[in-house]
Amino acid sequence: MIKLLKIEWMKIKNYSAFIVISCFFALGIFMANYLVYYFKKNVVDPADPTGLISGGSPFGFPNVWQTVSYYSGLTLLLPGLLLLILVTNEFTYRTHRQNIIDGISRIEFTQVKLLMALIIAVCSTILVFITAMAFGFIVNTGSFSFYGVSSIWFFFLKALTYNLIAVLMGVLIRRTGFAVAVFFIYTVLENGLSLVLLVWAIKIKKEHNIDLGNMGNYLPMNAADGLVYSPFGMFTNMANKFLPSDYTWLVFSLAIAYMVLFYFWSIQRMTKSDL
Amino acid sequence: MSILSIENLSKSYGRIQALKGVSFIVPKGTVFGILGPNGSGKTTMLGIIMDILRPSGGSYKLFDEIPDETLRRKIGTFLETPNFYHYLSAQKNLEIAAALKERGHDDIPRVLELVNLTQRKDSRFSTYSLGMKQRLAIASCLLGDPEVLILDEPTNGLDPVGIAEIRQLIKQLHQQGKTIIMASHLLDEVEKVCTHVAILKKGELVATGDVNEILANEDIVEISAANIPQLEIVLNALQGYSNLKVQGKMIQLFYPVGTADVETINRHCFSNGIVLNHLQLKKKSLEAKFFELTN
Repeated sequence: MIKLLKIEWMKIKNYSAFIVISCFFALGIFMANYLVYYFKKNVVDPADPTGLISGGSPFGFPNVWQTVSYYSGLTLLLPGLLLLILVTNEFTYRTHRQNIIDGISRIEFTQVKLLMALIIAVCSTILVFITAMAFGFIVNTGSFSFYGVSSIWFFFLKALTYNLIAVLMGVLIRRTGFAVAVFFIYTVLENGLSLVLLVWAIKIKKEHNIDLGNMGNYLPMNAADGLVYSPFGMFTNMANKFLPSDYTWLVFSLAIAYMVLFYFWSIQRMTKSDL
Repeated sequence: MSILSIENLSKSYGRIQALKGVSFIVPKGTVFGILGPNGSGKTTMLGIIMDILRPSGGSYKLFDEIPDETLRRKIGTFLETPNFYHYLSAQKNLEIAAALKERGHDDIPRVLELVNLTQRKDSRFSTYSLGMKQRLAIASCLLGDPEVLILDEPTNGLDPVGIAEIRQLIKQLHQQGKTIIMASHLLDEVEKVCTHVAILKKGELVATGDVNEILANEDIVEISAANIPQLEIVLNALQGYSNLKVQGKMIQLFYPVGTADVETINRHCFSNGIVLNHLQLKKKSLEAKFFELTN
């Protein structure tokens, strides 16, 4: 596998799209958090000096883990896009065939792409960890603490889910433009469907008093999203009276199950079909 | 040892059968041509052998072993189109190919020189002309000096000089004892470089064997007389031809090139009491042979 990873690195290290998207992603993580920080400091704080609505300092320890994980999560379509391009490039250039002809197996070809999804998720997570540390120390409202650092772990699961969806769509659709379009449309559609499911769950809870949990979080991308909550929890806390409960364990299990599904589906597709 | 043995290989795309139970063996040290018109299943067959297509039935072996990726590394293969990363240079693309084949980079300058691409080795693949792309693909096949080469239409898109160079290269490699499997729809190409041939037609194997036997260039003598059965008996006693065919009111005698002697035939028939009403020597072209085999 080390050999295959070295080959992947040879493929991408001189690829301008890889460099550009990586830079945009790093910048995106910083900007997303900075914008929230800026908004909070200059708009929310003057209007809410006691922190009643915003619930304390989101960028001080220990809240910063959750805040940065949540807002960085909004940029996760970028590494997904990168993986989608890296996978579909192989089909566009027909190098997927040549790689196999030259001497790797179909399963190795797929596994190394899935491993790339993991590595990119790990790198994204490290970046978020560093960003959170940086904001935490700069804002410096509380003493350093790892309390709530599990948000970073959930961010990792979210990143990995997005990346695995991207790899799967890449091997299923193969054509770059079409795959990218489907990836984005799917994101929007799933969010829409998730909202419909949530409204339905609220209705069932209200009418029949059956709590099925936040069903909107049961879909792949939303399951991953559902692991990292918005740090501005005040409204959510108030709304919880009406909202179905959040079964974190269920959402977590679903997120893992989806990832396993995406992994095997990608491998199945690449090993059973004509290339 | 056989380099490749194919056993009853089939492939269908929905209702279309691209390969119908093809079997043959490629012996070591041969230049083996796979000849057939467009759409006869040549590339499909090589695709299956390289594990990029799934067969619908049958099996194949490489080096008498169950095929896997380690055996594919021993073969330099160029299938259908040159497949490289467009945004990388020839050098970088070959480095990737070398890594995939688990060979070092030290052979890259040699193969680039062989296909005259040394000067352009740092240009991006996307800037290459069709012929240059083709030559880079051949360079990639030659990486690490493999014992076996599989080339699918290797002279496609090359200029006449390029075509001659590739033929020369194939002959040289053959002299070094390497086995070359080459698919082509160009009869002339197969005739010039191949020692063995398999002819495919609509997914079926029409003929396989030594190229001189299969594509033997023949002279045909057409003979006719009033009494065809009698003529056939008389001709059966004649020596020197390789084949006799009765075609309606005509008998065809097939001779190796340059050995047909119409005077002898005429004299033989006449002295056996047969008067010929038609006697004609026809040169048979390879093209005609090819059409005969594939139509």
